[in-house]
Order: sequence, then structure tokens, then C-alpha cells
Amino acid sequence: MAEVEETLKRIQSQKGVQGIIIVNAEGIPIKSTLDNSSTVQYAGHIQQLLMKARSFVRDIDPQNDLTFLRIRSKKNEIMIAPDNDYFLIVIQNPSD
Amino acid sequence: MSNTKVKQRRAALKVSKISKTLNVSSVLFPANQSITKSSSTLLSRRSFCSTEDAKLLDKSSVQTPKHTLRDEKGQDVTPQPLYQGDPAVSQPKQGKLFPTHDTSWGTTTDFLSVAFQTNASFGGPFSRSFFGSISASRTSQSTAESVNNETEDVSKHDLSNSSSDVQGCKEEVMEQVGEVLMDTVVDCYLTETETMWLLDIPAVSVSSDSENAEAVKERNKAYIELCKNRQGNDKYVERSMQTFNDAEKTKEVQSETVTMVDKAVMSTLWDMYDSFCSGSGEVEEDIAIPLEQHKAVVPDVSSVSLQTHPKDSSNIVSMISIGSDLSSIELEVSVPLGKEEPDPELILQSDKFKHDLAVMERVVLENIFQPKLAAYRQLPVLEDPDYVWTKMEVEEESWTEQPLGPFLEHQWAFSCDLTMGRNVSSMAWNKRNLDLLAVGYGQFDFKDQNSGLVCCWSLKNPTWPQRIFHCDSGVTALDFSSNNASQLAVGMYDGSISIYNVQSTEEGAIIDRSDSANTHMGPVWQLRWIDHEKGRSSEDKEETLISVSADGRISKWFLHKGMKRTDLMKLRRTKDRSETSTKANTPKNRCEVLISRLASGPCFDFHPKDSNVYLAGTEEGEIHKCSYSYSEQFLDTYQAHKGSVYKITWSPFNPDVFLSCSSDWSIQLWKQDLCTPVLSLTSGQKALYDVVWSPHCATVFGAVSDSRVEIWDLKVSILDPIIVSMSSPGVNPSTLLFTPETDCVLVGDSEGQVSVYKLKNFTAGDSTQADALEDIIQFTLASHL
Repeated sequence: MAEVEETLKRIQSQKGVQGIIIVNAEGIPIKSTLDNSSTVQYAGHIQQLLMKARSFVRDIDPQNDLTFLRIRSKKNEIMIAPDNDYFLIVIQNPSD
Repeated sequence: MSNTKVKQRRAALKVSKISKTLNVSSVLFPANQSITKSSSTLLSRRSFCSTEDAKLLDKSSVQTPKHTLRDEKGQDVTPQPLYQGDPAVSQPKQGKLFPTHDTSWGTTTDFLSVAFQTNASFGGPFSRSFFGSISASRTSQSTAESVNNETEDVSKHDLSNSSSDVQGCKEEVMEQVGEVLMDTVVDCYLTETETMWLLDIPAVSVSSDSENAEAVKERNKAYIELCKNRQGNDKYVERSMQTFNDAEKTKEVQSETVTMVDKAVMSTLWDMYDSFCSGSGEVEEDIAIPLEQHKAVVPDVSSVSLQTHPKDSSNIVSMISIGSDLSSIELEVSVPLGKEEPDPELILQSDKFKHDLAVMERVVLENIFQPKLAAYRQLPVLEDPDYVWTKMEVEEESWTEQPLGPFLEHQWAFSCDLTMGRNVSSMAWNKRNLDLLAVGYGQFDFKDQNSGLVCCWSLKNPTWPQRIFHCDSGVTALDFSSNNASQLAVGMYDGSISIYNVQSTEEGAIIDRSDSANTHMGPVWQLRWIDHEKGRSSEDKEETLISVSADGRISKWFLHKGMKRTDLMKLRRTKDRSETSTKANTPKNRCEVLISRLASGPCFDFHPKDSNVYLAGTEEGEIHKCSYSYSEQFLDTYQAHKGSVYKITWSPFNPDVFLSCSSDWSIQLWKQDLCTPVLSLTSGQKALYDVVWSPHCATVFGAVSDSRVEIWDLKVSILDPIIVSMSSPGVNPSTLLFTPETDCVLVGDSEGQVSVYKLKNFTAGDSTQADALEDIIQFTLASHL
């Protein structure tokens, strides 16, 4: 547990990292370093996107599965690590 | 027709009655003259009808008229009510009467509408009588007078109608009509309605010259004959039928509301695959259940599944996947219903989560370090297209001058809080995963001893090591095994050797300490895993761990139920051959009884090709060539250094050439056969701690001294290093390592940092490398003579 906390702290302290959100399978954020409204927004939208992405990947090849998703936008990059029970979102702006 | 008879000539009769205003009808009448006229005529007709249909209309109820009608003679000629309105009976009458009429009812329709508008209850006998009168009086010619009279009659008749209100209204109407129109001449217009075609088959004429003319004529003839024969022919029978029109009956049925449920199934390729994989035999049952449910709610579906397959979690999963497709996408999220909702704590502690976190960390760092890593791997550096160059940075770029010659460009440094302040004592690349670097931290000096640390760094994460192993004493030597790539041997200051397995995240070593009886007495300065041929056959290659330590013993370790070792060689002090021995040496050599007869050995190196031969350097400055199998005597001794030899290394390109560096400020290049060094290289006046050949270029090697890192290229110059990189004051580089694949150099220093430098502007020739070195050596040797 402490290891996990440490790792989270390290990621948070990296250059340009704006926030980390951990969402459970229902779409409810269980841990977040952003404010509540942003967290809920991110969680909601990303969930739908993940479903779509996973469906797409598996449709093309059912033996395949989604392991990581990165969205690069003008202002930042959103990295999502999905799983059956949760998904982990990190928002970073590497040029900061 | 009895109508004509009925036409009575009556003198003006007085109508004594109360006149009531009839708004409705009065409005209507002025509006349409024709209507009024028609209505008046019809009204008159009605009177005829009434007499005609007397028998039909005669029913019981007789209503006492409110008004009486008397003729001139005072006789009561009030017409009696013929019939009390009964809509039920009137209807069939209507039906019967109506169809008998012919078309051209232009006026009739108008009249009808008027009649019904004025008063609905006019219906009963009134309308009937209307119809009757219509038929009756169709052919009659009404004169003004008769009209007048008739209207009078009509009005009287009206008075005696059924309902009082109706009566009142009707009276009004009739009154109005009677009074207003009695003297007017009424014109009736009878018009014909348009022709309504029911069947129209136009005749087709065929020219007698045409082809079909004959056939048509034949047919016509046949038809005419047919018509003739028709009369009395048995072939044709006329018959008519009457169908009974049963009475209609209304029946009502009430059913429960039909519930409508929306159902949708998303069939995707992967869903089918999942269902197929999860359980081939039971899948059909699972699918049947939700279809029967007719509910698109996931909990119900999966609860059913729970009942049927309580133990089979995989089935639940498949059910859920089916169920989730039945429901909307939002519901799909609430998937794990068979099991408990994963506790947030559980999630955070699960292994998968840790793994994901690690991956995420690397990804985040990759974003930050991408240019550096790309440069390291000799990939083109991607410039961030969205990165906004500030004005200052642009200016900086233009200002920095690129050095013309080769130089070391700092990329990044492996360091973290843990390693701050520790001295890097040794570094080693993993043999299999070339991104993995093991770094040992420990002090060289006797003083400042604290616990040691071994960190395994990955290139993908320069900010935090992948593995951290704490050791009791300072780490002085490390090496990765090549057979088992995850085994790391660590030698420590207190003489003990441990083996760690870097795959596991546990802190403990596989083999913690060597047997205390067998440990080295002094710090282990160097460790090596050597592939050694056991026996004659070259197939039996076993890997053994060789160590050299300050107690002067080179030992071979067996990893069999703990560590057992045998001594390969004891570095005995040789007698000082030269007459001129330094003062430091003589005291030791004078008396045979020494503290130790063995010379400390800071380093050794096995021949890259011939694993039987190895070189060992001593603190006295001697280099001994020894044989693996023969532990009694040295094969050869090379003597040139005046201080302790810190490092010996064979050239990876030339099998006969090796380098040695020592504390006497010099690097010596030796050839195996010659007892004197070929080249002696000095620069600076500091002891050299490390010398390493470059794995890429035969003539290049790197050296580390007290405050600087030197890169030598013998092709370019044998007097000076081509690159001299000064380190920051106070920080002393202690170890050097070339990267096996790229042209980078790792320098470990006394502050715990391992810096990565890229060799820039480096012109390394690709020509036959070994020859290049050979040429230099030959040249030098020739110049000696």
C-alpha cells in the first residue's frame, strides 16, 4: 500500500503532470488529485470512450484487448490504463 | 295522388297562438331565399303527407294543443297530433321512404340541412312527413294560394307537434313563414344533379381493313346470336336472392394492457467470441434465459444466472456480457454483480494496479525524457509540434556555440533521493535486457563506511530505480550472470558475496551470505561470472563466479547449497626484482614474516577468448598472468606500474592487447607477449580509477580520474585524450561504463549520480578495427627500437 502511495506521489511530482484519477468499474472516481467537477467530467467521458475503444479493438480481432490509450491534444496528453475493475487516468502537459 | 284531394280551399283562418321568436330559423330564412321557399313548399307537402300516412303515424299520445285553430265559422279545426315523436320507430320509416326517391334532389338536400339545423327534434314525424310530402308532391304544382293555405295548415300542424319547445320553435318558424310569405310568389327551381357514371366501357371500333376485322366480325356475330338465344334459354337462369341483414350487436372486450418493452442486442464480434470461449456447452442455456426475461435490466438477468450457475463465475461473466448488451451502455458498467463490488482499497492494492502504475510512470517519463532517450538510442529526436518556443529559449539556442571537436553531451542522470550522497562503486549492464543497469553504491575508503545499496535502474525510468536492495555493508563489486540473466552477484566491503534475483521485488537475496568461514577477509574488489569449459568437451559450459579481494585470493565460488569456494590463486608477493625499490615497498619485503604474504588484488580480467588465462593486478603494481587450471604459479608477470593497478581490461577487438590503469597516473597498453608495455599514456596528475575499452571502436577507450573523464582515441593521438570532460568540483567520477549498443558513456560519481553522456562529433572509423590498433602498436614498437 505504501509502495502504491509512493509511486502515485512520484508520478504526481513529475514534470508537467496535471492530475491523476483512479476510477472504479462503475465510473465512480475513487482517488483523484483534481477538483471534483473536473474529476467527474473526466471519469464520465473517458468511460464511454474506453468502451468504444475496447469494442473497436476487439471487434477487429477478438483475441486482442485494449491495454493502453493515449490521447494527445493541443494542451495536454491524457493517458489511460484500463482494466476490468478500474481505470487509471493521468493528465500531463510535457512541455510545461 | 291524394294530395290533390287534400288540397282544401280554406278561407283565411285565424291563427290564434302565441308567437314566439325563433332566432335560429329566422336567421336562416333571410339568408337563403330559395331555401325558405323550398321549406315553405315542403312544409306544405308535409301536410299532405301527414294525411297520407295517417294510418302509420297514428299513435296513442294526443297532446292538447296550446293553440286552437278555428275557421270562419268558429269550428275547431285544430288538427290533432298525429303521432308522438318516437325516434326508434321513425328511423326505419325514414330508411324506407328515402330510397324510393329519385335523384335531382337539389332542393331536398338544402331543405334537409335546414330542417335539421333548425331543430333536431323535428326528426320524428316531421321528417317523415317531409319525405312523404316530397314524394307525394313532386309532380304537384303549387300555386301561391295553395301554398298560402297549405302553409296555414302546416303551421297548424306544427302547433300540434310533440315536444313543447319544439312546438314553440316550430310554431315560430311556421308563424314567420306564414305571415311573411303568404302572399309571396314562390318560384321553385328543379335542377338536375350531375351525371354520375357507374360504368363506362367505350366501344372500340376496328377498321374493316385491319387484320383483326374478321375476328371482330365473327365475335360480333356470335354475340348477337347469343343475345337472341338468351330468351328462354336454359343456359341462362335469372335468380335473385335476398340476404338477411342480421341485427347488429355491439360487443366489447377488455384486455390487460399490452406492455411494451424495448429490447436491443448488440452483437459484436468480440462478444460472440467471449461467449464462445467462456463455456461452449452452457452458453446456449445462458442465452435462453435472458431472452425469456424480456427485461433489459442487468441485475435481473444476472440474478437469474446466479440461481442457475451459482459457482461458475465465468458463466456469470458471460451472462453479464450478454446481459450488458441487452441493456444500455450505462448499465454495462455495473458489470460485476456476481461478486462484490471491488473495494477501492482492493483495487489500489491489486498487483494489476501496481503494474499499471509502473507502466504509467514510464509513459509519463517517456514524455518528459523523449528527446534524451531518442538521442541515446540514436533515433531522430522528435520535436513537440505544440511546444511554444519562448523568445528567451530561441536566443539561447543561437548563442550556444557548438564545440568543434568531439565532446560529451550530458543527457540525463540516474539519481534519486536514496542514492544521494553515496559513492557509485560499480556498474554493470544486464546481459539480456540491455536497458537494465545495476549500480552498486559503496565507499572505497576505509572510513565513511555505511550500508550499501544496489539499485537496478531501467532506461525507461531515470527517476526511480526498478529494484532497490539494501545491503549491510558498502557494495564494491557487481556483475550480472549471463546464464541466468536475472542473477546479480554483489560483492561487499566486508568480504561477503550475495546473489540477488532481480526478477522478484523482494528485498532479500537468494543467497544471502557466503559461508562465514569462507568469506574473504577483505573487501571484494571485483566479481565476474565466467563461462568456463568444464572438462574437455566444450558443451559443458558452466558458469562460475570468480572474485578477487583485498586478502589476495582469487576464488572460485560454487553455488550449490550455499556458496562454497575454492581458491584459484593466491596472489603471492613476488620478490622485488628491481634493485631500486621504493621505500614503501621495502619494509614489506624485508622480512619474510609478513602480515600477509598475499598482495591485495584490486582487479582481474579473464581472457575473452581463452577462459583459461586471466590477468590479475595487484596493489604492488604487478600484473600476473595466471592459468585457471594451475594455481601454484603465475604464468607471467608484467611489471611496469609503480602504484597499485586499479583496472585491467582486455581489448575486445585484439586478443593480445590489454590496458591497465593505476594510481601512478598512467595507463599502460600491453601486448600479451611483451613484458614491457607498448604504450604508456598519461594526462593529468591524478590517479586513474577506471579504464574501459569502447565496445564499438578498437582504438577508443575511456578513463576516469579524480576530477575528470577522459576519452582516448589512439588513432588520433597517443599523447592526449581526445575528450576531457571536467566534472563539477567536489564531485569525483569513480566508474565508467560504455553502453553496448549506442555511443553513450555512463559515468558514476561520488555523489550517487550516474550520468549519461553522448559522444558527439565523434569520428569513429569503421575500418578493420583490430588492424588499426595493431598498426598503432607496430608503429609504436618500431619507434621504440
